[in-house]
Amino acid sequence: MRSAYRVLAYIIAIEVVVQAAAIAYALAGLSKWVSDGGTLDKAAMESEDTTFTGVVGFIVHGINGQMLIPLLAVILLIISFFAKIPGGAKWAGLILLLVVIQVLLGLFSSGIPQLAILHGANALALFAAAVYAGRRVGAHSQVPAEPQNA
Amino acid sequence: MISTRGRLLVALLASAAIVVPLGWASYSSVMPGTYSVMDMGYLDYGGGPGADPGATTHAGHDGPDTTSVADLVTDPERSADVRVDLEAKRETFSLASGRSVSGYTLNGRSPGPTITAVEGQLVEVRLSNASVPEGITLHWHGVDVPNAEDGVAGVTQDAVGIGDEHVYRFIADVPGTYWYHSHQVSHEQVREGLLGPLMILPQTDDEMADQLALVHIYEGIRTVNGRDGDVSVPARPGSRVRVRVINTDNGPMSVWTGAVPYRLVAVDGRDLNEPSTVVDESVVVTAGGRADLEVEIPEDGSAVRVQLGSSSALLLGGKRADVPKAPQPETSLDLLSYGSPAALGFDPDLADRRFEYSIGRRPGFVGGRPGLWWSINGHLFPDVPMFVVREGDVVRMRIENHSGDVHPMHLHGHHAVVLSRNGVPSTGSPWWVDSLDVADGESYDIAFVADNPGIWMDHCHNLPHAAQGLVAHLMYEGVTEPYRVGRDTQNQPE
Repeated sequence: MRSAYRVLAYIIAIEVVVQAAAIAYALAGLSKWVSDGGTLDKAAMESEDTTFTGVVGFIVHGINGQMLIPLLAVILLIISFFAKIPGGAKWAGLILLLVVIQVLLGLFSSGIPQLAILHGANALALFAAAVYAGRRVGAHSQVPAEPQNA
Repeated sequence: MISTRGRLLVALLASAAIVVPLGWASYSSVMPGTYSVMDMGYLDYGGGPGADPGATTHAGHDGPDTTSVADLVTDPERSADVRVDLEAKRETFSLASGRSVSGYTLNGRSPGPTITAVEGQLVEVRLSNASVPEGITLHWHGVDVPNAEDGVAGVTQDAVGIGDEHVYRFIADVPGTYWYHSHQVSHEQVREGLLGPLMILPQTDDEMADQLALVHIYEGIRTVNGRDGDVSVPARPGSRVRVRVINTDNGPMSVWTGAVPYRLVAVDGRDLNEPSTVVDESVVVTAGGRADLEVEIPEDGSAVRVQLGSSSALLLGGKRADVPKAPQPETSLDLLSYGSPAALGFDPDLADRRFEYSIGRRPGFVGGRPGLWWSINGHLFPDVPMFVVREGDVVRMRIENHSGDVHPMHLHGHHAVVLSRNGVPSTGSPWWVDSLDVADGESYDIAFVADNPGIWMDHCHNLPHAAQGLVAHLMYEGVTEPYRVGRDTQNQPE
């Protein structure tokens, strides 16, 4: 359970990297597409048929962010209940909270673009929290396992 | 041992506290295989009288005073003035420009044939399905047809399967620009081409040439009347042309004419009163909506460039090379103060019902799937309001949007007039709509007369949003629903 916790925390951290990479790829692709004469307006945005190099980045970012990462965060919290890591549940709960905030910031930034600034910053907070949660477990000396049965 | 057991128990309970509610929420959001849209959600009487205490209000009630949706038809005794046969196919086809796309056709092409009728004529359309596996229907978007002719699978008819046919009959009562499209698996079938234009001409000739501009995106390419890029059409210098723009896509589209002045003469098949000349402002056409622009072709023989979104345009008269693309104007025409007021024909202040249609977004489960879903009045599909009215009621509705995205709201079977936006009253021409863009943060007060009995969809015409649950219905008292929707039926209207 301890290693599952550690691995899952690192996977969440890697997922944050994937998210950043995907959205950067998508925006670069969109920019090139527009430069090459492609045009984008709301009707085109809402058309599932609009395609350009990098459009997969938007899809990955959406599915990862709205489905996969929240699911991983919930599983991490459940694992933390069994993993006997002091403070493990607290950190898993914090990660889940940051994920929820991140999803909401992402969704509502289409109406209030300033929220995207926080979305970008919160991503780093989530990354840091996930890495730290994983490292805490890895460093046995700092977080000793629970003593065996009394 | 006890402490270990205790720990394990706490861990299991904590896990259960997370998993069980989520699992239950997921399970309970799965729709039954067969259901009536009348059984969805909760009844909302809008402050008006409730149903008769003696009658049960939901589907399945029968009584001497009830009418089935199936019986709300156009006078069967009257013979048709305009007859059209439409055959739907799933196939790969060529657009007018020659580009090959895969999707759906009507009579071998998409957009389907233009149906033209003169005001007052009875239109009869025989729809047959040659090869569309999921089945099809046709909805007459913007024409306030009798309920049984509305073409919504599982609400006003059963989807037409392969080898079957269905006859639609309706009176072309109000001149204007309309369109038709499938309302079965509509978020896919409309996108892939099961649609076409419908034009109702006035009985008196206004000496204006008509030019349709049906805009649709096929496989990422925006087209006008099935042609991509700039589309040139002949027009006589000095003549006036009524450009009938139809936005068949899922998002709003801006239309502008560069330096050429225009008048916006109609929206959603309703003429505007005393429209003034507009220069250097765009018209935003709602998804599913229509806008009729009147332009005058210059005497010098140059063309008028009607820009339809940024990537396509109609060039009226002149030579193609004459008119470069003009940048999009910074402002768009505000219909709240355009034209002059006129009588509405009813008094919205004497409303019998007042409804709220507040669109939000929240996490939850729809159809068993977790996600952030559109909500109506705080509830997720299918726990949405069923707006109940009685024939003859004056109905007011406040549509609010705090969901982070724009929603083109489409009420079937009725035209509603815009009373105010964000509390600012309308001071221009009566602005009648069947498709109204409600942007994030906006609220609209609209009103209509409940004069067309039946069960009517009231949904977002960004069709994937409807498929995600942004659908409610308007129901008349005493109307029964013989059709069913759900995965065990052939009907999937969204």
